[in-house]
Amino acid sequence: MDPLIEAFGLTKAFPVSRTWRQMLRAERPRLKAVDGIDLTIRRGDSIGLVGESGSGKTTVGRLLLKLTSITSGQLTYRGDHLDRMKGARLRGFRQQAQLVFQNPFDALNPRFNIRRIVAEPLVNLGVPRAEHETRTADSLRLVGLAEPQRYLDRLPHQLSGGQLQRIVLARALVVGPEFLVADEPVSMLDVSVRAGILNLMRDLKERLSLTSFTISHDLTLVRYICSRTLVMYLGRIIEQGPTEEIIARPAHPYTKALIAAVPRPDVDQPRDALPISGAIGSAATPPSGCRLRHRCPYAFARCASEEPPLIEVAPGHTAACHLHIA
Amino acid sequence: MGTLLEVKGLSVSYRRGGVAVRAVDAVDLDVPAGAMLGLVGESGCGKSTLARALMGVLPGNASIDGGRVALDGEDLTELTPAKRRQRLWRELSFVPQTSMNALDPVYRLRDQMREVLCERGGLPTKAADERAVALFRSVGLDPVRLTDFPHQFSGGMRQRAAIAMALALNPKLVIADEPVTALDVIVQRQVLDTIRRLGRDLGLSAIIVTHDISVVTYLCGLTAVMYAGRIVEQGTTEALTRRPTHPYTMGLMNASPDLHEPVETLVPIEGAPPDLADPPKGCRFAPRCPLALAACRESDPPPVVVEPGHSAACFRAAEAGALREAARKASTWTR
Repeated sequence: MDPLIEAFGLTKAFPVSRTWRQMLRAERPRLKAVDGIDLTIRRGDSIGLVGESGSGKTTVGRLLLKLTSITSGQLTYRGDHLDRMKGARLRGFRQQAQLVFQNPFDALNPRFNIRRIVAEPLVNLGVPRAEHETRTADSLRLVGLAEPQRYLDRLPHQLSGGQLQRIVLARALVVGPEFLVADEPVSMLDVSVRAGILNLMRDLKERLSLTSFTISHDLTLVRYICSRTLVMYLGRIIEQGPTEEIIARPAHPYTKALIAAVPRPDVDQPRDALPISGAIGSAATPPSGCRLRHRCPYAFARCASEEPPLIEVAPGHTAACHLHIA
Repeated sequence: MGTLLEVKGLSVSYRRGGVAVRAVDAVDLDVPAGAMLGLVGESGCGKSTLARALMGVLPGNASIDGGRVALDGEDLTELTPAKRRQRLWRELSFVPQTSMNALDPVYRLRDQMREVLCERGGLPTKAADERAVALFRSVGLDPVRLTDFPHQFSGGMRQRAAIAMALALNPKLVIADEPVTALDVIVQRQVLDTIRRLGRDLGLSAIIVTHDISVVTYLCGLTAVMYAGRIVEQGTTEALTRRPTHPYTMGLMNASPDLHEPVETLVPIEGAPPDLADPPKGCRFAPRCPLALAACRESDPPPVVVEPGHSAACFRAAEAGALREAARKASTWTR
């Protein structure tokens, strides 16, 4: 199938504060939050992006939605370059690609009622007023709020966390998008409520034939709603493949650590020390060679001198680690 | 091993617009010396209020209505506020949810450690600094960083610093409110391992407040499940996770996925916890419980012992085996 979104060498750099010496030398140090990633999203895909805070995963989501500009590389939506998109085409894209906000308690204006919150994207896209009421109500029904009239006149603080997250989804879906980016969609919710939202997202994806891109540090969540997973570390994709394959047979030491770190609801779970130590560094000063090497117990000389490329370790499963390059 | 903390019939109310809202209702809880107890429940179930009541740091509109909190046999609720404050840090200490709140952004970590060690602990500055170095080492932080300000620390480091500070005066009991919730998985695991090691090496007793049952299973030997201001089930973590007896615990277990087990469908607990200004008659979980009987809506089930050291407040506790069977099916929980 044709790719919906394609990225080649996608890079986003932010300026960082300079030292006196750098100012005198007129140097402009930059932090590459996303550093040359390639990505293909086909229609109907459900892709998960995992990594720690500081890996650049939220920036990828913002780039995909054209919420921030590209520094270098290419990013296309249905063959159109996103950085050159304007006018009607851009409005079309804004309708087709929507963001599901992270924290429903902060994302919604506390002074707006639910009607106004959910209808806002319709206003922004210039949809005729006469359609707002029915489309808003339909959208609420879609996310499992069966009696929309009960919610429309309420304010966010009158709803529970689970209901608010449904409102956030309804707001994203009200314009009938085909592509959703969800950034930590359930991280603020209780486990009991989380399960309901994840089921809803899975169900909506099927019913509306959505393409989804889910960003999270939680592999259990990604595993539940994404068929393919990308693992990111300091601006680079270091492993990608089918989600179940990655969880069952992780190839990169970092992915292994991410999986081993998840606590399990089982008293007999292993409690061995993690295979990697320390903390993620700053993308402003990434190490030479493999970016994980200071934290990796398997690092050898080559890891410092040469950055490992992504190579295939199994069909459709690639990893960037010298251990897999014979 | 003896009981370190004994909570009997503790009740706490908030005044809200002229009405009293009972957030913690007749809670009984024991923490043996050297044990880690996980206190689990949804937001709004009263677990943070209970933690604050144990610490004696309730907000102004909250009050203890009754019950006792005995630390090593001494009732803390009978102490004057001033006396009580003296116990903070020295006998029991607190790791708050967001450690940014525990650390003062305008002081270096060393000065904040000195404040606890010198003012509260009465140590001379030099001894305090030496102790601060040892504390930083014990939680896996580089003592060089003592001269840093909190903003120079990452989230995980701040959490470790807050733990180091809580341990400063060798308290008998540490209460940690969602100590790892805001952290990434890898950092979360590192902090959990730090707490686990302190428990093993120093015999630290702790209450870990969390909504994540997996965190409790990883760290705590004992578990208490809280719902709508009450403890609905408590016992060893092993007993609770293997033989959950209250339907609410069964529901929490269903909703907590295991990354290493196949998962077809996650089963949510429909509905929301009740408004505590007007709690339902009978069992407070009954309106959300798919296994409730008519009797559950009439009167309140008292806790019953289901096996030594494991109790649950459910009328159907005797049929728990059959209920567990039913609760595993997703269809049981959907209406």
